[in-house]
Amino acid sequence: MKVSRNKPGTATLKKKRWTRSDTTAWLLMLPMVLVMYLMIWRPTVMGAVWSFFKMKGYSVDKFIGLENFRLVVTNTQFLPTLWNTVQYVFWSLVIGFLPPVVIAVILNEMVHFKSGFRVTIYLPAVIPGIAGMLMWYYIYYPDQTGLLNMLFGKLGIEPFNWLNNSKFVIPGIVIYMSWQGFAGTMLLYYASVQSVSAELYEAALIDGAGIWKRAWHVTRPQLAGILLLNLVRQIIAVFQVMEQPLAMTGGGPNGASISLAYQLYLYGFNSGGKATGQAMALGVIIFLILIVFTCFYFWINKRIEDNY
Amino acid sequence: MTKRFKNKPTGLLSFSDLKTPKGKIVYWLFFALLLIACLVAVIPAIWTILTAFKDTQEIYSEFTFLPKNMSWGRIVTRLSESWAALQLGGSVFNTIILSVGNLVMTVIVCGIGGYVLSKLKPKGYKLIFTLVVWTMMMPGQMRLVPCYISYLHFPFAYDIGGVSLLDTYWPMWLGAAANAFNVILFKNSFDGLSQSYVDAAKIDGCGDVGTFFKIMLPLAMPIVIFVSIGALSGAWAEFFTPMLVLDKNTVLPVKIYRLAGDTSIKMNTYFMALVFSCVPTFLIFLIFQRHILGGVNIGGVKG
Repeated sequence: MKVSRNKPGTATLKKKRWTRSDTTAWLLMLPMVLVMYLMIWRPTVMGAVWSFFKMKGYSVDKFIGLENFRLVVTNTQFLPTLWNTVQYVFWSLVIGFLPPVVIAVILNEMVHFKSGFRVTIYLPAVIPGIAGMLMWYYIYYPDQTGLLNMLFGKLGIEPFNWLNNSKFVIPGIVIYMSWQGFAGTMLLYYASVQSVSAELYEAALIDGAGIWKRAWHVTRPQLAGILLLNLVRQIIAVFQVMEQPLAMTGGGPNGASISLAYQLYLYGFNSGGKATGQAMALGVIIFLILIVFTCFYFWINKRIEDNY
Repeated sequence: MTKRFKNKPTGLLSFSDLKTPKGKIVYWLFFALLLIACLVAVIPAIWTILTAFKDTQEIYSEFTFLPKNMSWGRIVTRLSESWAALQLGGSVFNTIILSVGNLVMTVIVCGIGGYVLSKLKPKGYKLIFTLVVWTMMMPGQMRLVPCYISYLHFPFAYDIGGVSLLDTYWPMWLGAAANAFNVILFKNSFDGLSQSYVDAAKIDGCGDVGTFFKIMLPLAMPIVIFVSIGALSGAWAEFFTPMLVLDKNTVLPVKIYRLAGDTSIKMNTYFMALVFSCVPTFLIFLIFQRHILGGVNIGGVKG
């Protein structure tokens, strides 16, 4: 195993030589290393390598340099799709970022029905993703069989086209995503809110800080780290949105809800095997965009760990 | 009521705040906000359930939230009718197999992996650990097509033999095993257990495998349960990979998705299919509620 070879100059850290217990430990770890290699590390590297190759269906043909990338980027749909993806991220931050933390803070203040609220709010997270997507597809149904248009009908408003409206489709999908992802994020915040010590609040109280001042000067700084981490995590996750447009709109209307990742799916599995190379090139492009955020994420994570 | 307020630990609102009218207003305002959040959370689900019990006629002509006539007899007929029409039995059975496989793979592969990284620390483990941590943040799209190619000629990924994993559960099982997040959860949880357990077991002549299954795994039970719940309910929600690789042996989420395009299924019956597909995860939630809602305390990930 060449990975274990010690570099010269690390002599101070150098443990004893390779022993039998190292071998058994590696043998034990082997299944994990093997599946990681087969399912994640190798496909990731191969995706990058094969993005420079012409693909014949799902087999490799010949090296063609940057041709796949050229085809992806010069496609007239590329910039609109990138813009759609940015809109997904934008709306998910507008709609979905603050509610979980607000609800977590409020929930922590409750003395009535606290656990009842917690269980009820968690319900959407229990629904399998695909069932949730199809449920919301019918909630947004363009005639009065859909829940929203039914309510509109009661108020005497004309049915609205919801997911068939190119302006609404992305916020509409994001509303669903926020609804389903809400509870998981809230629980994460809830744990942090609970760990804010009551003494801090008491000290602030003695200093005469009102409710909002305490929220701003005690709660907010205590949550700042996890908020920032979640912000980056949400950007990274939503940038990769794929299943939702696939199941809810099929990318429509007129491609208004196609995200980069869904476009990759279309290249890879819906092009009759003609564009598999472009799918991998697009994968590399998504990776290059997200690596910036990923590095930022690890950087803040490190700083937060150093601070506490 | 004031008695409850009295015991409240000081937070944004303290007991003294809650004696003033302003504090009371704020408190009940918070209460109202939570009620709204609850309504938003449950109304889509309730509407789906209610629609499933309506007549198809009623769905297309009445446009009301509540079904017109509900009785026990009707509920039973609707349930049995829909179950007969949907024929979900096969896919439910397949999903059970998938979920059990996911569970076994996750606990054994990720568990032992986390254990070795945490306690045995062989030479070179740091590199593996760094790779695992970075794995978590790699965009999954990048490996979508290459993974599919590997499934076609497993394990070579080139057209030089190998077996096709299409229409088997192996892509999902291996995917469940290759879960970096779970490896790190296990590692962190073993980090919290003293090294002396391992040393003591070794002195008593217990092998590494024995130490893991007989001593470390029982000690790490909270995390094992937490990860197991995730693996089990994950199988009932996993949609994308099964959609790609499964054709004959579909699982429930894929079946639900394909039924959406099936015109022979009536609207109310289809809503019942959505309801049915939520039942397994809902049951898992009911049974393990305490573990799930309390689980984030152990869910903190450190890179």
